[in-house]
Amino acid sequence: MFSPEAILLLLFKGMALIAVAVYVVFATVVVRQVYLMTQTLRVGFETPIRVIAWVHLFFALIVLLLSFFSI
Amino acid sequence: MPDLYKSENSTQTNPPAEPVYPTPSTKTLWSFYISPNNVHFETQDPEEKIVLLLRKHPITNLWWIIVAVFLISVPGFFDSYSFLPFLPRGFHFVASLLWYLVTVAFILENFLSWFFNVYIVTDERIIDVDFHNLIYREISETKIDKIQDVTFTMGGVMSAFFNYGNVIIQTAGTVPNFDFQAVPEPASVVKILQQLRTEEEKEVLEGRIR
Repeated sequence: MFSPEAILLLLFKGMALIAVAVYVVFATVVVRQVYLMTQTLRVGFETPIRVIAWVHLFFALIVLLLSFFSI
Repeated sequence: MPDLYKSENSTQTNPPAEPVYPTPSTKTLWSFYISPNNVHFETQDPEEKIVLLLRKHPITNLWWIIVAVFLISVPGFFDSYSFLPFLPRGFHFVASLLWYLVTVAFILENFLSWFFNVYIVTDERIIDVDFHNLIYREISETKIDKIQDVTFTMGGVMSAFFNYGNVIIQTAGTVPNFDFQAVPEPASVVKILQQLRTEEEKEVLEGRIR
């Protein structure tokens, strides 16, 4: 049977995976938000902001992958 | 009888002179643009010219910058492994990555909120663009000739030192009040609005309504 420590570890891992998955959803919404904002107001700074939003989403996905394999 | 005086181009009416707006007395990073060239908004008419683009004074961002610096420095002072030693090293590594990601999201959200919540004054109307949260935006506008009263307030040490304040515009439109919060040079903003109202009245008198 599973030891209490193993069960606790499994619980923590589950919670961490859920937290990172929720964060990836948030990062996706940020990309959409940036798109809406740059559609509403164009000031010549859209490209850097869009790149930052996509890089942010990319890193969130990397952390999700790492959390599957590292913990 | 010969003409005593004949003015040149007597049948040609002179086009109205381009209005001259006051320039701000201090340079304010990205918060006070007069007649910006490369700015367009979603509902802008092709002939409409942006006279003023305003944001909150950059100093209003100080609080979240301080919080962000604190958040970035926390992992350097706090070792999560000593807090939860029974968890594997990989867990702590992912936890610190997630911490930094959340910090980046905090910085990004606050910057976007400051950068895209703008107040626009064109030669025809005033527009208030508000992004309240991730997916809710509110754009209010009213015509310049519907402005009834303009008031500005400056209160506090910071606003007196950095010269920013609130400009409250009462209108006869659907939205009764427009509140330009913490904008730089509020006195200049009021002056420009007054100038625009005068020009609108001139346009009505001269029949140059668009």
